[in-house]
Amino acid sequence: MAMDQRPVIRLSLPAELRFRDVAMRAVAEACRLVGRPRTAEGSFTGSAASTTQRLDLSDRFAAEMVSAVSEIFNNIAIHGYGGSGAGEIAMEMTVAPDHLAIQISDHGTAFDPSQVPDPELDSLPEGGMGIHIAKACVDELDYTPGPPNVWRMIKFRKQARRSRPASHPL
Amino acid sequence: MPLTHSTEETADGIVILKLAGTLDAMTAAELTPTINRLVEEKRMKIVVDLQGLDLIDSSGVAAIVALYKRTRSSGGRVTVTGARDQPLAIFKLLRMDRVFAL
Repeated sequence: MAMDQRPVIRLSLPAELRFRDVAMRAVAEACRLVGRPRTAEGSFTGSAASTTQRLDLSDRFAAEMVSAVSEIFNNIAIHGYGGSGAGEIAMEMTVAPDHLAIQISDHGTAFDPSQVPDPELDSLPEGGMGIHIAKACVDELDYTPGPPNVWRMIKFRKQARRSRPASHPL
Repeated sequence: MPLTHSTEETADGIVILKLAGTLDAMTAAELTPTINRLVEEKRMKIVVDLQGLDLIDSSGVAAIVALYKRTRSSGGRVTVTGARDQPLAIFKLLRMDRVFAL
């Protein structure tokens, strides 16, 4: 395998909140693969999955990525499919050495981001916080209405490259 | 992951609401009867203990905000304690860490 190999993990889930934990565990496992040491051929050693039984979110990268995905999953299950439980949510996770790219698609009612203004945090909102959380937890988040509606998000494990431009040598 | 919750009262009348597991779109509704009861009883000092909480989402935050606002409207106060990892990060992200005295 080549050094720049990017394993792709695909998952299709019923669009029901009760399946969200399955999505979150898959995301947490994919997060653990980002930056994991690889062999000279570019493959991982040992099992690709961790052995912990609990959903371990002590790693900040995984905690933020899982937070973003869970908000998007909620949004699709509750609003896109109206909580009906009919329909599917498809996820595709591409594991790069320094980042994780996740694409989430559905065939539910398209979402209109312009209908969800940024929450006024100082007034302690009780709603409208989901997309705000998702946006803040990843480096890139974009949405294309469909069908299928597609959310794309990217999160880098190292943020240093954003705060230290190449034109600014140390 | 499920949600477990319990309330206890200290000798000086402070209600400790302990939450553990996951407080999210699936489980937040389980908390509604307890929140309604605390509001109806006009509890003046409520401490929400999140030491055992592993995960929260926007629906979970909304449930705690609802308890905070309803208690405040009858003159009481809600603080949050023990938040760690993902829940702490979410409260900070929503700039609620200062409101809840985290």
